Amino acid sequence: MTYSNRWKDFPDYIIGITREIWEDRGIETLNQYYAPDILVRTPMGMAIGNLSTINATMATLAEFPDRELLAEDVIWSVDDNGHHLSSHRIITTGTHLHDGGFGPATGKRFQVRVIADCAARGDQIDDEWLVRDYGGIVRQLGMDPRTCAAGLIAAEGGPARAKRPFTPNADVPGPYVGTGNDNPWGQRYADTLRRIMDKDFTYVLNAYDRAAIGEFPGAQSVLGARAISGMWLRLRSSFPSATFRIHHRIGMEGAMMSPRAAIRWSLDGIHDGTGWFGAPTGAPIHVMGICHAEYGPWGLRREYVLFDEIAIWKQILMHKGEA
Amino acid sequence: MQGFDPKWRDVPDFIFGVTREIWEDRNIASLRHRYAPGLIVRSPASVVIDTSNVIAATMATLAEFPDRELPGEDVIWCEDPARTTPQSAAFLSSHRLISWATHIHAGVYGAPTGRRLCYRILADCAIRDDRIDDEWLVRDQGAIVRQMGFDLVGWTRDLITREGGPEHCVKPMTPHNDAPGPYAGRGNDSPWGARLADTITAIMAAEMGVIATAWDRAANLHYPGGEPAFGQAAADQFWMGLRASFPNAAFTLDHVIGREDPLMPPRAAVRWSLWGKHDGWGRFGRPTGAEVYVMGITHVDFGPFGTKGEPAIRNEFTLIDDAAIWKQILLHTGDL
Repeated sequence: MTYSNRWKDFPDYIIGITREIWEDRGIETLNQYYAPDILVRTPMGMAIGNLSTINATMATLAEFPDRELLAEDVIWSVDDNGHHLSSHRIITTGTHLHDGGFGPATGKRFQVRVIADCAARGDQIDDEWLVRDYGGIVRQLGMDPRTCAAGLIAAEGGPARAKRPFTPNADVPGPYVGTGNDNPWGQRYADTLRRIMDKDFTYVLNAYDRAAIGEFPGAQSVLGARAISGMWLRLRSSFPSATFRIHHRIGMEGAMMSPRAAIRWSLDGIHDGTGWFGAPTGAPIHVMGICHAEYGPWGLRREYVLFDEIAIWKQILMHKGEA
Repeated sequence: MQGFDPKWRDVPDFIFGVTREIWEDRNIASLRHRYAPGLIVRSPASVVIDTSNVIAATMATLAEFPDRELPGEDVIWCEDPARTTPQSAAFLSSHRLISWATHIHAGVYGAPTGRRLCYRILADCAIRDDRIDDEWLVRDQGAIVRQMGFDLVGWTRDLITREGGPEHCVKPMTPHNDAPGPYAGRGNDSPWGARLADTITAIMAAEMGVIATAWDRAANLHYPGGEPAFGQAAADQFWMGLRASFPNAAFTLDHVIGREDPLMPPRAAVRWSLWGKHDGWGRFGRPTGAEVYVMGITHVDFGPFGTKGEPAIRNEFTLIDDAAIWKQILLHTGDL
């Protein structure tokens, strides 16, 4: 790998370029670090090409000039062709100092998590999936996720013309075709998520540490296996018949760290139950999720779950024809 | 675990198991076996001597919070060679636990508020002969009182009145009312314990700059009051606010453990104290000159992402008892 001259290892490269691009304001280095035709998939939609990443980065920094991106973990794998996949968990903070995509400046501070799955070859990122806790930002700026989604639809020309959130049929295959690795910790976490999605919520009470910490969308932090089980239930209950799929699975054991896992997954189906997203509407829904887990001697000890509440509300409201 | 009931696999299993037995399985009488006679339980709020008083306090707590659960989050422990006998091994366990409870009945905290509580406790217990024979405990009293919906200073003022006024109220722990117990160990020699001890010592010497290298930029922090926080700036604010209130107080490292265990990051547990005058502006407002004793316990997990490539603190759990500190300040000022 060509990055070896500048960076100690793969996580160091990921953490280093994140800092260089966003915090040290080396936005033009995206030309070097991001492939020109990169596909960045987020729950809100797909961005094609490096230029859109550069422009979006500037827009964010214009609105939140003190934005920081604190690397919390890098869980990674490498496929047979030397193609790396980094699942990078970041705490992002900023103050809403200027008007922008989140409306008139509120002066409020946000602090939420993001997980970015980036494929890298050499020292260039060439494929990406990113889930931001959009709902957490919105709540911390004093707004409500549903109202925010309605506002976006209105601003984009109403339910018929607003930009559609990401769905699998709008996806374009990118250069990365890996599915992760076979490390047992990844397999174990995949099994846990499958059981949860099979509605075996009791399992959570056994597989998780009684005192586990769970971090959920909306910047909602919960304590204990029972509370974590309740959060998963609220999600599944909104889309009880949706199909659950695992797209990427990494398990990893590293020096100075608990064994851990990173899984990218999706739910496809209909908003046909009452739960996290209110009364059922029959809206077709795609949920892009990325989760990280850390294991300890008493079970799953910390879990970080990300999906985008705003992208889900947008799908619901566009289906209902509401803005 | 020579000298312990064979049903316990290891130190964490004993500590988690005994806690469950007493609090959740309601086997409070087991304290007579699990706690040595004459046991001293020190907390910032009080020094309780003798198991009969511990049993009484346990029942009073369960009367007020009948659904209390106490899941263990971690046990960071060390051997205690000085007290090991041919009959029994000896250890010091630093136990981090969560407490969930509903404030259902009237009690020490006043009329029932019906509030659901979630807070942390750090408890250092010396164990030998299948029982606990010395204890130091810090409960996040600030989190409890805030979650009940009270102002901490006002609640502490009411507590003094409920306990019979400044003359008769329960006196917070200080070196004056502390009593020596059987455990005199100082911990173990792990470099992880030394690393945390050095870091806290540097902070107490006002070398706040160490935070930029000793903490991970994305550190998850759990400070008194129970609100989660992130990052070096938040670490700086907590430690600065504390030391600034007691800038000339004597700082003591009382106990230091470091450990490396399977499936866990390297971690450390340090018990420390401050003893001196409340003579600076900080976490406790306007300086009052009150003589204050602060007992603190800090647990950390280390990780590999230090800013200069060195190990750094990824998770920190520090507890002091804000109410016990306010009680000492109010008893001094007489602002009751």
